[in-house]
Amino acid sequence: MSEGLWLWLTLLAIGSTTIMTRGSFILAGEKGRLPPALQRALRYAPAAALSALVMPDLLLDGGAFDPLNPKLAAGGVVILVALRSRNPWLPFILGMAMLLLLRKGFGW
Amino acid sequence: MESSFRRGAREGMRDFLPLSVGLVPWAIVTGIAMRSIGLSPAESMGMNLLVYAGTAQLGTLPLIGSGAPLWLIFLTALVLNLRFIIFSAALAPVFHDHRFMRRLASSYLLVDGMFAVGADKLQRADDPHWRWGYYIVPSVYCWLLWQLCGAVGVFGAGAIPRDWSLEFMTTIALTVMMIPMLRERPMWVAALVGGLGAVLLRELPLRLGLIAGIALGIGAGFIAERALAGRAAR
Repeated sequence: MSEGLWLWLTLLAIGSTTIMTRGSFILAGEKGRLPPALQRALRYAPAAALSALVMPDLLLDGGAFDPLNPKLAAGGVVILVALRSRNPWLPFILGMAMLLLLRKGFGW
Repeated sequence: MESSFRRGAREGMRDFLPLSVGLVPWAIVTGIAMRSIGLSPAESMGMNLLVYAGTAQLGTLPLIGSGAPLWLIFLTALVLNLRFIIFSAALAPVFHDHRFMRRLASSYLLVDGMFAVGADKLQRADDPHWRWGYYIVPSVYCWLLWQLCGAVGVFGAGAIPRDWSLEFMTTIALTVMMIPMLRERPMWVAALVGGLGAVLLRELPLRLGLIAGIALGIGAGFIAERALAGRAAR
């Protein structure tokens, strides 16, 4: 992990994207408009990015493809719970419970 | 007589309050997740203040934790925040008659929840004082709630045993954020291609696989949207 000053620079760089995107049109202060095609393409960015971050963690174990691993089982529980319940705590509680049960209870 | 700022503020709070309850677990989880990759309490609170964007914070944590290069962390945060460009474009006319400092504050405080709840009313209101009250009071409340509950997670994380795989909370959070997006078929395609792309391209140098996967996902979603629209039109 990055240390000290480098880490703060990293946090600052991440923070700059917050102001850059949220302020893009508001700070310009004009009635700017995004080209419709770009606007539609941008809609897919969050789903693609979230999935690109999540899927490697769920499908890889120690860098190798492994469709049967405790994280994927716990991820399945998270998806089922999030689809069926509106309680915001439940996916965290049941997902972590599943992972800990498999790893600590069964030593997987 | 009550000022229009206060009337706006009251209506904004009434609209935003129910939604804000759902923020509490997110703020706490983000606090715990920052500590789980080894950030100190000061660094975690600093990130909450500097970034103030849950998705970008949670999404970059695995990269910070694994020592990824700065440009990759920056690009990933940018992609995760891209949706705010759309929000910013939609709200720019609402704030165009306000001073720069107010526009800066509005930008920093712009979150998904407030946009979802209030964009429509803000765009239709004529009175700038009403608009300012309607937007800024719930937004500041949301910021306080995020910082306070984030601190609960940051300082509470120390009480949880170190070998409890807490870093998995980040994966859970990102998964739960993604699920409501997958209502339309092109979104499914974007997520599937983005995720599998990142898995299959993971051997690319400089961890380019992540950015390549995201780019493929966005492209695939866009193409799927066009293909589905073409089929419907025929």
